[in-house]
Amino acid sequence: TMATYLEFIQQNEERDGVRFSWNVWPSSRLEATRMVVPLACLLTPLKERPDLPPVQYEPVLCSRPTCKAILNPLCQVDYRAKLWACNFCFQRNQFPPTYTGISEVNQPAELMPQFSTIEYVIQRGPQSPLIFLYVVDTCLEEEDLQALKESLQMSLSLLPPDALVGLITFGRMVQVHELSCEGISKSFVFRGTKDLTAKQIQDMLGLTTPAVPVQQARPQELPFVSSRFLQPVQKIDMNLTDLLGELQRDPWPVPQGKRPLRSTGVALSIAVGLLEGTFPNTGARIMLFTGGPPTQGPGMVVGDELKVPIRSWHDIEKDNARLMKKATKHYEMLANRTATNGHCIDIYACALDQTGLLEMKCCANLTGGHMVMGDSFNTSLFKQTFQRIFSKDFNGDFRMAFGATLEVKTSRELKVAGAIGPCVSLNVKGPCVSENELGVGGTSQWKICGLDPTSTLGIYFEVVNQHNAPIPQGGRGAIQFVTQYQHSSTQRRIRVTTVARNWADAQSQLRHIEAAFDQEAAAVLMARLGVFRAESEEGPDVLRWLDRQLIRLFMFHLRRSPFLQVFNNSPDESSYYRHHFARQDLTQSLIMIQPILYSYSFHGPPEPVLLDSSSILADRILLMDTFFQIVIYLGETIAQWRKAGYQDMPEYENFKHLLQAPLDDAQEILQARFPMPRYINTEHGGSQARFLLSKVNPSQTHNNLYTWGQETGAPILTDDVSLQVFMDHLKKLAVSSAC
Amino acid sequence: MAELYVKPGNKERGWNDPPQFSYGLQTQAGGPKRTPLTKRVAAPQDGSPRVPISETSPGAPRMGPPPLSSKASRPPPVGSCPASSVEPTNFPVIECETLLEDVLKPLEQALEDCRGHTKKQVCDDISRRLALLQEQWAGGKLSTPVKKRMALLVQELSSHQWDAADDIHRSLMVDHVTEVSQWMVGVKRLIAEKRSLSSEEAKEEKSTATAEEHQTVPGVQRAP
Repeated sequence: TMATYLEFIQQNEERDGVRFSWNVWPSSRLEATRMVVPLACLLTPLKERPDLPPVQYEPVLCSRPTCKAILNPLCQVDYRAKLWACNFCFQRNQFPPTYTGISEVNQPAELMPQFSTIEYVIQRGPQSPLIFLYVVDTCLEEEDLQALKESLQMSLSLLPPDALVGLITFGRMVQVHELSCEGISKSFVFRGTKDLTAKQIQDMLGLTTPAVPVQQARPQELPFVSSRFLQPVQKIDMNLTDLLGELQRDPWPVPQGKRPLRSTGVALSIAVGLLEGTFPNTGARIMLFTGGPPTQGPGMVVGDELKVPIRSWHDIEKDNARLMKKATKHYEMLANRTATNGHCIDIYACALDQTGLLEMKCCANLTGGHMVMGDSFNTSLFKQTFQRIFSKDFNGDFRMAFGATLEVKTSRELKVAGAIGPCVSLNVKGPCVSENELGVGGTSQWKICGLDPTSTLGIYFEVVNQHNAPIPQGGRGAIQFVTQYQHSSTQRRIRVTTVARNWADAQSQLRHIEAAFDQEAAAVLMARLGVFRAESEEGPDVLRWLDRQLIRLFMFHLRRSPFLQVFNNSPDESSYYRHHFARQDLTQSLIMIQPILYSYSFHGPPEPVLLDSSSILADRILLMDTFFQIVIYLGETIAQWRKAGYQDMPEYENFKHLLQAPLDDAQEILQARFPMPRYINTEHGGSQARFLLSKVNPSQTHNNLYTWGQETGAPILTDDVSLQVFMDHLKKLAVSSAC
Repeated sequence: MAELYVKPGNKERGWNDPPQFSYGLQTQAGGPKRTPLTKRVAAPQDGSPRVPISETSPGAPRMGPPPLSSKASRPPPVGSCPASSVEPTNFPVIECETLLEDVLKPLEQALEDCRGHTKKQVCDDISRRLALLQEQWAGGKLSTPVKKRMALLVQELSSHQWDAADDIHRSLMVDHVTEVSQWMVGVKRLIAEKRSLSSEEAKEEKSTATAEEHQTVPGVQRAP
């Protein structure tokens, strides 16, 4: 029944961090194709599991070289003979000697069904410290630079004491600061106009000899590797605090009518080269803080003449953005190198105008780095979002994780078509890899250099079973997700999730298939696919692909949504919204598709209401969450009462509580969300009421397809009505077309 | 005893800047939510949007006051929120002024304790920053919350509660960075050095005790 499947879906998500579009799988390729919505899942590989302590031993692998699946609850075990049969390739394997004591009543954890998700700690191998390389734009207004300096100084108190930290500053030139405990601080200066190869950078910085282990003064501590440019926080924090405090604005004068000369492309290039030469293949973040667009050198996005504006969507559509392709190529080259080195790049862009997120987005998207967009470094939005990078989990460990590789194995009836999320392909071919690509395909392994407990990938599958091949009675398909990563404590860990679902024949088991359809997961997975195609292919082709889909109603709204129809946002804004949509978990992604709207009144507890103008009533307070914004809106009467001061009169204390309730609920969201949303507290007739009004009357924005430069704030994918209709429509079409 | 407060965002730099939460509020473990805002409403079956109701029909009589607070009315929302208004920090009712000496003396003593164990350069650097702290405090440049929390930090440091002292230093860096950044990193280092010194002393005591166990002959008095 429906209720049981909802429970099943929820339990599986809680335990395994997985949501499938279909929880009963079509038993043949032909049937799967008819179902329109592909078999796919959202996977949160490092989902927080306070109830799952990691085991302190290494996983047992299938001995077949082309398989190497990990021992899991689906495997058949012969306890007497100490043999196990791999459920993926059916190879019989001998248990290792350490397992001689196992029996039916003494099972190892990895065989128990409740440990379909289990985490192993790898004991062997060196544990390298985490690395944080700050790349700081000094072409900022004085107030902004001061605020940024203070945030960076503060961050030294949040970093783990044994982490390595480094500093590169840039403006017209790029300066790599040598960190030392001696009084005098030296730096290496590079011209911002000329790109250098990795080798040139490494030569000029004297990195030709690899970083050597250095014995610390206190022999009982472990030796660490360091370099002149990357030193442990606990050793360098006082000097670096002073160095940061003394940073000046870029000294090159900016003439009237010009932009500052900002060499972001070379600065990032040097950062990537520095880490490549000193600490390849260990967890590191390059953190770029910038207050304007790159204006010189490779990667420049706009020239220094203010009268030439930065490219808009209109310019791009008319093929009038001459710098865009070359700049994008530069950052893509850097992003791919960074991902190969196992490092990630964060972009913290705070400015009133665009900063080139469109061209630089691959740096964050391919490496799993963060993208934060704000108006100024002297805002709570930036300061607190930045603080939340260093948030800790229930164990007191940092949530951030590094250097992950995700491998997907499937039973033979399935193949992997691709993944969509903050990852790059590892180009690993094999029997699980489909020839058809959905997302980043042609591989069964991906690399995610930066991730945290909410990072979520969309993984798409293909059913390859032939139509006339019989399914064994009660047969189930299986998928195993293996994520190896560097935990923030620097331990290496492996998280293994193995799931199975029943095959079903659409002819005879339609009701089961229908009941087991997860409409929320399907919506997000389809939307991700649509946005991925819009980003990587020409716009009109994507729209034509959407038109060919059977689910015209949903696609009609998706194609008109700001995720695809971008003209109401700047190219940077679109990049920012899409960046978050491509990595958030299901709940947050759904909020972006369909904002939440709650109504507060004297008539009862807060209740969800339709995202429609009919929900705007004089005696109600509305709280809207679009993920990127929290909006509180007082109806006309509420606003009048507040103006009259009733909340201050003791006999109207309930009104005071009513006013406070949405504020408290908003606060809970604001306290936890990453990135921090914008916060709008407005009322009937207020100038900022348009943020609510434009969401409940989406037809107003959709009709303005070719007006640009007008910023209406956060987008939504569909309006409330059509999403519900889509869900039902999708189910009916998807299921009936399979017959 | 962390400060729990919320301040408005920077309205001049960002009109929709969200509020700023204190370190204490941000590091609170997430408990059960007051009102989990995750539900949606099913749309009408025919799929057509409802006819928008105008907020106030023209010519409608003005609304009177809100309903009076009474037992019959809706109870206030359940669940408490620590401190969500823009009020200043929760101070104890009786305020006694935090004295500079009460904070500086223990810090200087802690630095002295470390002199044998820590490099001279580091000690000098810490000393320089303590002097800066003194100068700013005496010059009236530090706010009361900073002074109060420094007093707490020093108490924790004196009681060898390294983690607690460290956490207070962090909360001051997050909540009051402009005031404290120049000298606080010295206090941070001092805590780290004292912690390290203390664990070395503990190890030495342990090995001394073990050595003594092996040497002591029952009945023989040890020389004073």
